[in-house]
Amino acid sequence: MKGRKVARSVLLGISVLSYIILWAPALVLILFSFSKNRFGIKWEGFTLEWYANLLSQPAAMDALKLSILVVAIAIVVSSLGGTLAAYGLYKYQFKGRGILRVVSLLPLVMPTVVTGAAMLVYFTQLIHLRLGIGSVIIAHITFTIPLSTFVVLGRMSRIDWSLEEASIDLGANKVTTFWKITFPLLLPSIFASGLLIFPWSFNDFITTYFVAGVGVTTLPIYIFSQVRHSTTPIVNTIGAIFIIIPLLGTLFTSFFRNRKSAQSRSGHD
Amino acid sequence: MGAVADTISSKRSSKITETRRQHHSGKKIIGFLRRRAYFPYVGPLSVWIILFVIAPLGIIIYYSFLRAGPSGNIIAVFTLENYRALFNPTVRVVFLRTFLLAFLTNLICLIVGYPIAYWIVMYGGRWKHRLVFLLIMPSWTCYLIRLYALKTLMGYSGLLNAVLLKLNLIQAPLQLLYTPGSILLGLVYAWLPFMVLPIYASLEGLDPLLLEASSDLGANSFERFFTVTLPLTKGSLFVGSLLVFIPSLGDWLAPLLLGGDKVLLAGSLVEHYFLKQGNIPVGSSLATFLTAVVLLALYVVIKFAGQDALERVL
Repeated sequence: MKGRKVARSVLLGISVLSYIILWAPALVLILFSFSKNRFGIKWEGFTLEWYANLLSQPAAMDALKLSILVVAIAIVVSSLGGTLAAYGLYKYQFKGRGILRVVSLLPLVMPTVVTGAAMLVYFTQLIHLRLGIGSVIIAHITFTIPLSTFVVLGRMSRIDWSLEEASIDLGANKVTTFWKITFPLLLPSIFASGLLIFPWSFNDFITTYFVAGVGVTTLPIYIFSQVRHSTTPIVNTIGAIFIIIPLLGTLFTSFFRNRKSAQSRSGHD
Repeated sequence: MGAVADTISSKRSSKITETRRQHHSGKKIIGFLRRRAYFPYVGPLSVWIILFVIAPLGIIIYYSFLRAGPSGNIIAVFTLENYRALFNPTVRVVFLRTFLLAFLTNLICLIVGYPIAYWIVMYGGRWKHRLVFLLIMPSWTCYLIRLYALKTLMGYSGLLNAVLLKLNLIQAPLQLLYTPGSILLGLVYAWLPFMVLPIYASLEGLDPLLLEASSDLGANSFERFFTVTLPLTKGSLFVGSLLVFIPSLGDWLAPLLLGGDKVLLAGSLVEHYFLKQGNIPVGSSLATFLTAVVLLALYVVIKFAGQDALERVL
């Protein structure tokens, strides 16, 4: 029993230490975003100056807008293509199915520098696509479409497909069945894949850096240009926002999920 | 059927054979389409993958065997010269360092990650989900910003040095950045959650009856861990390792921010040859080699953990 207690405190120690290491940089960053220090690395009193400063930086705002545009297109296209592909992979057995599944994993597992470099060479040397928003969007979709496919595919086994058969049996045609039954059944998994795609695409720096060309600045690229030359408080403020917004977002969704499950539980009783 | 009716009325003479043949080929087409009913679904993904994954990868593999011209152009002459760059002493050192760092990152994540996952499952209680959430939360922030935050923390006049000085543990600020150790710390910091998650999921799915049975049969908790728990969660170790090893292997930002110009990794070299020097053939050979190593790692994991092991994580 004594050994067990020791083991338990060792586990606790490792875990607490890891949580501290994982959170310390983020928390310090948030703290310093409110500091008067001009380099954003020391505490010299509270200020909101840098946040006000950020709002008056048109370059940062443009970068944010561009990032949102890219994410929005990536989510729409990859949700469509990914859901279709997942449906095909789940419902049909065909030649090349195994290969397709393995090859689709490639953009997710290949080193991002290699993906970026390969696309850059392909765009400039072979298909002569001008680098710009178009090439950035294509690069993003290339890794978000498999993401969407596998997230939706993974959840398909949890869906009650007999509802689809029932609808056909009751005389609905294929199109009606799709819109009234299949699509609503798939909607939560499409939503889940969207939630995963958003940060993945929004935060992507390396691939974008390779294929963006000159003048196309997404938010991570903008941050990089700030970080590269000096330490500026503006990076702290953007970073703080980057940490706080997903936190609020997830707290918000988990709050709703909890309330929903609490409701359904009480409804069940 | 309208076409069939037309045929019957207009060409009375050979109507029977004609309609039969049409009917037959119609059936064939329908059968053909039915057998390929999957195509509208998987078609877009397949086309996209061929156009923007296979083709770019193919082109850099092709270029890696061609000669580089003096002005960054590519001369269509077959050569293995670019692969000789891998044996160039500086490049070799960088690649060996990359493999070592990725391996160490993976090892540390395994050694630290398993206890965390185990602790959450065993002692997390009703806080379990919140603990997992707290664990992955930081990694939703932009990777670039996380590394930057770590960098300011570890910098010469950063908080860590200030605290150590205040505690009188050191006399002068330490040079923590721009060393292989700082990159290692950065990689562990960035990828640890991705090791914990699959292990957590697999421990969570463990049948408690099995653990009970092993205790009933007289195993103490250490024996139980090494004979039941660990073997049953082996697959997740492979998956977690892949999620940590692969990104560490190809990383370019961690060496850039935490290693400065002093400590380069393979990713830095790939970026250097493609973007700075504009030597596509040599860059391609390094990128091809790096991809080959990654695919080998992927193959090993698929072999040991099953094909859907990776997909399940998503």
